[in-house]
Amino acid sequence: MRLVPVLLYAAATAAYAMHFAWRDERAGRLATGLLAGGLLAHTFLIGMQTMQVGHAPLVGTTAAISAFVWILGLVYLYIELTSQERSMGLFVAVMLVVLAALPALDAEVSARPAVLQSPLFTVHIVAMLCAYASFALACVLGVTYVLLFQEIKAKHLGFFYGRLPPLRTLDVMNGRAVSVGWIFLTLGVAIGVIWASQIHQSPDPRLQAMSLADPKILVAFVCWGIYSFALYARRFIGWNGRRAAWLSAFGFAVVLVNFIPVGYFLTKSHNF
Amino acid sequence: MGLVITGLSHRTAPLALRERSDFNRSGAPAVLDALAARTVVREMVVLSTCNRAEIYAVGDDRTAGPALKRFFSDFHRIPADELAPHFYTLAGPDAARHLFRVTSGLDSLVVGEPQILGQVKAAYTASVEQHYTSTLLNRLFHSAFATGKRVRSETGLAEGAVSVSYAAVALARKIYGDLSALRVLVVGSGEMAKLTTAHLKAQSVHEITVVSRTRGAAEALAADVGASVLDWEDRQVALTAADIVVTATGAPDVVFSKEQIAHVMRSRPGRPVLVIDIAVPRDVAPEAGSLEAVFLYNLDDLQGIVQENLTRRSSELAGAERIVEEETAKFTAWMQSREVIPTVVALRQRFESIRRAELNRLQGRMSSLPPEAVAQIDYITRLIVEKLLLTPTEQLKTISDDGLAATYSDALNRLFELPSDSPEELANRDSTPKT
Repeated sequence: MRLVPVLLYAAATAAYAMHFAWRDERAGRLATGLLAGGLLAHTFLIGMQTMQVGHAPLVGTTAAISAFVWILGLVYLYIELTSQERSMGLFVAVMLVVLAALPALDAEVSARPAVLQSPLFTVHIVAMLCAYASFALACVLGVTYVLLFQEIKAKHLGFFYGRLPPLRTLDVMNGRAVSVGWIFLTLGVAIGVIWASQIHQSPDPRLQAMSLADPKILVAFVCWGIYSFALYARRFIGWNGRRAAWLSAFGFAVVLVNFIPVGYFLTKSHNF
Repeated sequence: MGLVITGLSHRTAPLALRERSDFNRSGAPAVLDALAARTVVREMVVLSTCNRAEIYAVGDDRTAGPALKRFFSDFHRIPADELAPHFYTLAGPDAARHLFRVTSGLDSLVVGEPQILGQVKAAYTASVEQHYTSTLLNRLFHSAFATGKRVRSETGLAEGAVSVSYAAVALARKIYGDLSALRVLVVGSGEMAKLTTAHLKAQSVHEITVVSRTRGAAEALAADVGASVLDWEDRQVALTAADIVVTATGAPDVVFSKEQIAHVMRSRPGRPVLVIDIAVPRDVAPEAGSLEAVFLYNLDDLQGIVQENLTRRSSELAGAERIVEEETAKFTAWMQSREVIPTVVALRQRFESIRRAELNRLQGRMSSLPPEAVAQIDYITRLIVEKLLLTPTEQLKTISDDGLAATYSDALNRLFELPSDSPEELANRDSTPKT
């Protein structure tokens, strides 16, 4: 069962690729259907895990990645269905497959320690995952912006020119995705700080390690700094377009580093 | 003597070479006089547009082509070796087909664009006014105009906004999406500027501003499209506010340097600008395209967008090419018989005038005859003339070899002292509407 979502995401990726390459509407509709099917299977899986452990499976990096994939897929599907724009689908679906492979290989869900039973913890995790999903979309929009920008700038109007939405649309959507992500990130970090201050006296060494010295927390603040600068630069120094695109791609790369290698191997505070 | 075309176009030569080959800088009369002074061709039309520089001429089949190439090279001070890879020479039916394709818009940068027909007409008129055309070129150009009209009316080649202007608008849409909030600056007030402005106006852009060296021309264009006008000196200010800039002046030098545009862009961070430079020579320094938020496209650059249109209209191309082939066949048939037809007509007129002169001379002697007998004499003499001319006329019309036809015509002209064809008369005859 745990492999069903990732297999459907992989099939959706292939269909999105066919749609992107040949601009075949039927392949596009099939891709959307497969993605929706993958998300449905994923929802079912998360539901089963919730029933299994008695709470939302948000504890531990693997579970968080699974939830992140689910949120990103849902957000993308909503945007696609409301805008009738499928060209981002391929890029998002590739990301879903790669990230969903990790929880598919290790579907064990951890029981929640007593210290994580605070509602603040759930809000913190959900806010952070929503932020990361927004940043993932901003990254895809940024990458596609750069691909189209380079074609137009180089005056070789070809593959991407005929397939991607206008540059300004990509730029505006990138700006919105970063803004929404920043709001969630700020909320997530703020709630995380409040929650950490409440449980700081706990004897659990992981909670003792909740400080800026911990790589996970430090890099999260670095991410906040990067995206804060991206918003400031867009608004006040005219860093939109290609600069904003690169910045959102760089920002998401840092997010991924924090999410996966730091989350798995380096953090002493977030390894529940 | 045959038809010959030499020159270069966007298909064979890069923009930089076309800029150096611009005949318009010297003005049509000067070019035609300079070419006539060489006495290498008999008839001539010089066509110079943004996309081509061509000489249409009638001259010796063997020497005219190389002589025109030398003239081209000398006139523009372009070494022959540099010119050679980009230069073409066409003769006879191939030359006619080329012009027919040009006037049909089939050889244009943007297939089906309408401006070329007017440009060819202007070039032809300039030659007619200076009496540098005669039978062959008159017929050729009128056939070309008719072909252009046929293609436009019988095929969908010119349907929709297929033009450089359209290509510019498509590019703007790919950069900005919705154009309704954008400000457009048009620099120049010529035909191309007008067309592009009209296209942008149709996209309901927020505001159009026109600047031109000639305030009156700018005001005329602005009145046509509902734009505002600024003085030429304020063009830098206008550039600061613009999202799309269309430059189409006839200025020989750069109107906007890279430094000027960089200065403007510093004052408007985060706002890109699309610059469509459709002027030849170019109005905007090509280096300006390297600036981050500047999308600079010149005429050659629009080729990529044009390909898209070409593909979409490929079904219309086949129909248009068929019309061109039909008209080329008609013209070729006429061209093959062109040397003999005037001779045949002149010969028949000569014989008829002799017959009438003899009848008039004998009128005194025939006065005693009854009217029926006089009518019989008139009928019999006409019949004799017809019979005498029948075989030579048929023989002449079947000659397909150009050189042989010319030899026969020359011989008949000399033997019977036939009058030569008047170019003005032929021009008038050609310009009468065909049914």
